[in-house]
Amino acid sequence: MDLMETVARFDRRGGADGPRITRIGEGDLGGKATCLVQVEGEILSRLDRHAFPGMEVQVPRLTVLATDLFDTFMRHNDLSGIDRGNLSDEGIARAFQAAELPSIIVGDLRSLAESYRVPIAVRSSSLLEDDLRHPFAGVYATKMLPNQAPSADARFRQLVEAIKFVYASTFFREARTYARAAGRSIDDEKMAVVVQQVVGERRDQRFYPTLSGVARSYNHYPQGISEPEDGVVSLALGLGKTIVDGGACWTYSPTHPRRPMPFGNARALMRGTQARFWAIHMGQPPAHDPIQETEYMVQPGLKEAEYDDTLRFVASTYDGNSDCLRPGVGNPGPRALDFAPLRLFNDVPLTPVLRRLLALSEEALGGAVEMEFAVNLDRERGTPAELGFLQVRPMAVSSGVTIVDEDDLDHYRVLVASESTMGDGIRDDIEDVVFLDPDVFDASHTGEMALEVEAIDRQLTAEGRPYALIGFGRWGSADRWLGVPVNWSQIQGARVIVEASRSGMNPEPSQGSHFIQNLIAFSVLYMTVRHEGPGRVDWWRLTGQPDRSSARYVRHVRFDTPLTVRVDGSARRGVITRND
Amino acid sequence: MSDNASFNPFHMAQAQFDRTADLLALDEASRALLRTPLREFHFSIPVKMDDGTVQVFQGYRIQHNDARGPGKGGIRFHPQETVDTVRALSMWMTWKCAVVDIPLGGSKGGVICDPHNLSQREQEQICRGFVRRLARAIGPEIDVPAPDVMTNAQHMLWMLDEYEAIHGGHMPGLITGKPVGMGGSLGRTEATGYGLVYTLREALKELDLRPGDTTASVQGFGNVSQYAIELYQQIGGRVVCVSSWDQEDKTSYAFQRAEGIDLRQLRDMADRFGGIDKDKARAAGYEVLPGDAWIEQDVDILIPAALENQINADTVPRIQDRVKIVAEGANGPTTPEADRVLEELGVFVIPDFLANAGGVTCSYFEQVQSNMNYFWDKDEVLGKLDMKMTAAFHAVYELSRKRKLPMRDAAYVIATHRVATACRERGWI
Repeated sequence: MDLMETVARFDRRGGADGPRITRIGEGDLGGKATCLVQVEGEILSRLDRHAFPGMEVQVPRLTVLATDLFDTFMRHNDLSGIDRGNLSDEGIARAFQAAELPSIIVGDLRSLAESYRVPIAVRSSSLLEDDLRHPFAGVYATKMLPNQAPSADARFRQLVEAIKFVYASTFFREARTYARAAGRSIDDEKMAVVVQQVVGERRDQRFYPTLSGVARSYNHYPQGISEPEDGVVSLALGLGKTIVDGGACWTYSPTHPRRPMPFGNARALMRGTQARFWAIHMGQPPAHDPIQETEYMVQPGLKEAEYDDTLRFVASTYDGNSDCLRPGVGNPGPRALDFAPLRLFNDVPLTPVLRRLLALSEEALGGAVEMEFAVNLDRERGTPAELGFLQVRPMAVSSGVTIVDEDDLDHYRVLVASESTMGDGIRDDIEDVVFLDPDVFDASHTGEMALEVEAIDRQLTAEGRPYALIGFGRWGSADRWLGVPVNWSQIQGARVIVEASRSGMNPEPSQGSHFIQNLIAFSVLYMTVRHEGPGRVDWWRLTGQPDRSSARYVRHVRFDTPLTVRVDGSARRGVITRND
Repeated sequence: MSDNASFNPFHMAQAQFDRTADLLALDEASRALLRTPLREFHFSIPVKMDDGTVQVFQGYRIQHNDARGPGKGGIRFHPQETVDTVRALSMWMTWKCAVVDIPLGGSKGGVICDPHNLSQREQEQICRGFVRRLARAIGPEIDVPAPDVMTNAQHMLWMLDEYEAIHGGHMPGLITGKPVGMGGSLGRTEATGYGLVYTLREALKELDLRPGDTTASVQGFGNVSQYAIELYQQIGGRVVCVSSWDQEDKTSYAFQRAEGIDLRQLRDMADRFGGIDKDKARAAGYEVLPGDAWIEQDVDILIPAALENQINADTVPRIQDRVKIVAEGANGPTTPEADRVLEELGVFVIPDFLANAGGVTCSYFEQVQSNMNYFWDKDEVLGKLDMKMTAAFHAVYELSRKRKLPMRDAAYVIATHRVATACRERGWI
């Protein structure tokens, strides 16, 4: 039987007692929804819930609008004919807002808006999404809605606008670029939409889960005694946007949850951990802006979280006398989000549940996996806790056929040497290097750097020249203080990316972000170089090259002879060597 | 197709009511009250014609019942208009508003005239004269007219203008069917046809049929049928035959195409009354058949959306065994004799005053918007319409299932019960 047919049709009379997963329409469910149906049927059904007392694990209640509705929407409004190439994302979004949803479903949507009285996420679930080779992670929009207006009319309007926005994102520039790079035609894409309850709780004017996370069964950057197969978990306070956008979060090994994070000292840790979190805004309605993805979201700081009493299980307190952190918030002092109370104590069985879910997911998907989740804890005791399983997708793990020896890292022709890499392979077609000029780098101008990189990328992409991109901090982080906030389409021609650190720009590698997932999917070779070592970038050689083009913060040089790039996926070593 | 000469719609409406009253075991006072209209206005409208003569037109406004809210119903301009037709239609409006649970009563109006033989100015004078006679008997909180047979948005605007001139001030809630931008509602054009498909969709679910696996034949190619076809096709259904009236030949033709009709193409071939050009249709690959061929198609769904009295004792034997649903877009397309045959055959009938209630429901939305002077977008209108129609369908279906009643009887029982209850609660009976 077709998977779609196993999902119950949405029935307005069902209410809260109806099936947890329902559909409207007869078409495909799209990647994300299909995956969630499988999670419910093949993973959570095998979870021994008694083994994790106090922890309720489930896929949050959802309704899928199948792809046939998208087809009808496009056809009925003649949207295939709009000049997408010349319209900005905003222009496309406005054209879609002006269009009408299929009349056959507006009653069901109204019923959804009337029956759901908790915040909802309107998420993309396209046909191409979550494909192993090219997962389209985070390429399409998600819109969070407070869904709390007393008037059903207002809630219905918000829902309709959000669905149109997600539909529009199918044709946004990043999606078009991604599709082109993946060798797909965006015209073949069809969008289903998931309308899903958000895990969390209202706290003052905000709604958010205690924490969100991304767990991976394979760790690209194992440290100390950890092995890649031990996996890795990234946690953040509030909604998961912090993690998938590459913001500051806490990363730990689920096999060794007590291992401290490698910050030099407590003060460095205070500076490097999450300081703001994402939540749904439940206060006065914001200015109407249906084409803004974060229209109903806010990003408060830890002061607000303290007021909401949500730090109890996720923060530690800095003790100035001993220059160390004390788990919990029992004493006054600066807070750091290191999730120590959860990792160190067993009051809430979060890590064991995650380990089990990763194992079950690996069995179900037949390989390494990555899962997204959100957890809401009881404010006082931690349990009962609710874990919402939001997504699982297969992970691309390097096959490891390329060999890079330790000795190779020390050769005098080495331009970049790294002992922390992602991907596997050899390239000898790169002559161009785009890099952030170390002499003028200023972390307060990373936004301008993103635009400069984009301009060079467009030129090189048009010329068909692959290039190596070298910079400081995390490429693709939405937090501009952690790195250059490019999106995928702005660096589409980069085939090798190097993240170097420097004093004041030294974040942990981000494994949970959609940006990284998409890079891996396109076999972009990725190297991390810490300024304290090991590894190095030959800045002297690089900056000594004549400029092909340059901007204020970004330089573009070209070598006469193609560089050789080798990344060893097994040893996680990589080198870029000159051949001149 | 049928002999309408001896057909008295008011007698038919009363017979239907009597049957329902028996089912409800309604008391005598309720029967007496609901069997006849509450108020009737019969009046003359003198009009100075373009040639300088004065002609007097006969007008009616019948308010059948307003226990649940202001009266609601169209105004018809028709040379063969009779007071019994208007009475019957006003009663049906009462049931229609009640079955979809909107807070309105039932009314109807008519003028004996033929707009084809009247200039625009003469029609305007009739409209203004109509309102002058009724200025105290209609109003946003009393009785709300709308367009009907041979009246349109322009007629409504003249009437509104006259009413506002008499009373002073703007009262767009007086009348519905106004143009969008002049107090009209988005979605009104589609409402009746779409509303029919909302109920059809629910019927298909209950019969466990996928829309994509079904075919339909439609009588008529006016506004109701065109939008019903549009939405039915959107959910995957295939319309293989549609009939339309040919003004030139004074007869109707059925246009059949096995792979399904192309709505856009037929619209392009149709005149403004929905008459399809048979030569163009033939050239486009349609088989052109006699007009009544629509009923004998081998399809799952029949949608009579043209005239009353079309499925009758003579025509019902021609319905194919495959037909599972009759969704009545027109008013009164099925006679009681044919109804009994359909019941015996196990055909699921979505009765007219439920299936085509989308129009009046959207008129109600228009009135609400006009009273607020705040207008909704189309998604909002159609979303609310779908909710109303679907809820009404299921209320009728549940009662039909529980009491083993035909859908029509169940719909009448619900509507009559609601109106009788309102009369009782007001202390009228």
